[in-house]
Amino acid sequence: MNEAFENFPHILGEWLKGTGPDSDIVVSTRVRFARNVRGFPFTGRASDAQRSDVLKLCEDALKQVHLDRSVVTLELDKLPELKRDVLVERHLISRELASGEGPRGVTFGRGEMLSIMINEEDHLRLQWIKSGFDVDRAFHALCKVDRALEKTLPYATSDRYGYLTACPTNVGTGMRVSVMVHLPALTLKENIDQVFKAAQRMNHAVRGLYGEGTRAFGDMYQISNQTTLGRSEEQIVEAIKAIVPKILEFERQRRGQLYTEDRSFVEDKVLRSLALLRSARRLNVQEMMSHLSMLRLGVDLGIISDVPVRTLNELFILGQPSHLQESEGRVLPASERDTRRAELVRSRLAAGSN
Amino acid sequence: MDCQCCNKKPARIRICDVEENNIGEQINVCPDCFNLIKRYMFDITKPLMTTPDVIREVQGLLTAGETSLATLPEPGGITPVGKEPVPVCPDCGMSLSEFRARGRFGCPRDYEVFAEHLDPLFERIHDVQPARHQGHLPEKTAGEEVVQRRQTVADLRKRLDAAVAEENYELAARLRDQIAELEAQPKAEERS
Ligand SMILES: [Zn+2]
Ligand SMILES: [Zn+2]
Repeated sequence: MNEAFENFPHILGEWLKGTGPDSDIVVSTRVRFARNVRGFPFTGRASDAQRSDVLKLCEDALKQVHLDRSVVTLELDKLPELKRDVLVERHLISRELASGEGPRGVTFGRGEMLSIMINEEDHLRLQWIKSGFDVDRAFHALCKVDRALEKTLPYATSDRYGYLTACPTNVGTGMRVSVMVHLPALTLKENIDQVFKAAQRMNHAVRGLYGEGTRAFGDMYQISNQTTLGRSEEQIVEAIKAIVPKILEFERQRRGQLYTEDRSFVEDKVLRSLALLRSARRLNVQEMMSHLSMLRLGVDLGIISDVPVRTLNELFILGQPSHLQESEGRVLPASERDTRRAELVRSRLAAGSN
Repeated sequence: MDCQCCNKKPARIRICDVEENNIGEQINVCPDCFNLIKRYMFDITKPLMTTPDVIREVQGLLTAGETSLATLPEPGGITPVGKEPVPVCPDCGMSLSEFRARGRFGCPRDYEVFAEHLDPLFERIHDVQPARHQGHLPEKTAGEEVVQRRQTVADLRKRLDAAVAEENYELAARLRDQIAELEAQPKAEERS
């Protein structure tokens, strides 16, 4: 069990490979279902003994389902904090599950496309991540897991309200589709607010993936449905498939505008970022993300040709604090992390290294 | 001695108000009344009430006949007698006002207990009318076997504890085997 974990920093999730539909803008598509086991209080009101029963029931059910031969299950209360934080940076578990208490766990496959959190706010949070904009595949893959689980695991449901969840914002389908998008041109052109408002009007939320409030480091945003009741799963899929392309079109239009009307401005930004990342001796995480963002844009506009998108996607994760520390095998002070981060980025971006 | 609250059942529990190491008034009550009294006494969200005040509240409830758990004032505070009763979930103890304050349900049963208050909330959150589920649902009987097995194991455990307490080791051994067999079941299925 722990052996598999030791390998982590070297094997990154499939979803980072930078392929799939619309991968010039869309990093990944994630679908998640919230589920609870009948006969137990929700996690927040369950005793440790009840949480441990839920964990065991879910683990047994998962074993029976035979999801994938290479599935790894980790009991988080037995895992050190640093390793839990690595899982958060890897998008395999939520910050809440990492910092929670009592018996809880996560199960995931080797490709890290499927991950199942046990005893998060809900007893089960099943999620499937695909590279690029690929809602249908992620949705159908997750449905298969869910339909197999429901045969052995008694889910808490009602005819009226569907899947019953701890938070009223998840009741009904318990389904959330989140599309991770890179919007550097809309950010540079200060159009992000417009995107936020338009999505809001259609019951969808856009928020920065890193950083708080309106500051989105690395220009990475997440678009997701806000409502889960009164609409079928298929309707939720259709809605996101209607909204995301509009945002992509807007971003592409602004990218084109930058390239035709502000060519020297955008070339200057991209090439300065590349020079900086190839030379810096110290990089903090925000600096790294904002320059990687310019590189990603530069690759798409053809300003840079010798850096694959996959490398950029991976650096976004590998350069995060816990990943750096995990690969060093110890806790590092911030200044030392900045040095290591700069080394990592230089080595991955060195001319001819890819 | 009769309970000083209901004046009917025999008193078994003594409640003392303690103030700066001085024991104040002592009141003797029956277990049933004590269950009602507890709901007021151990509420840390409300100002402290003296025991006589609590007893008066409970006596008010008793005369109004409002003593079933579902119609009781929530543990979170006192609803004056005669006012609309506040629903409390019998499974997890969640009250409507606690749910409103936390924004989280305590258990699946809350959805039934608070049913009449939920539609307007769900209509607003999910921007939909009526607030009714439209998607997939598993078959009703799905997973029922797991629920039943768990219930049986829980029952057997209780009987096992009792058997051990009575030093009936022969029965205890039999029960232990039954529990072990039931708990091993998922793995047996897995192998097949
Ligand atoms: Zn009494
Ligand atoms: Zn409840």
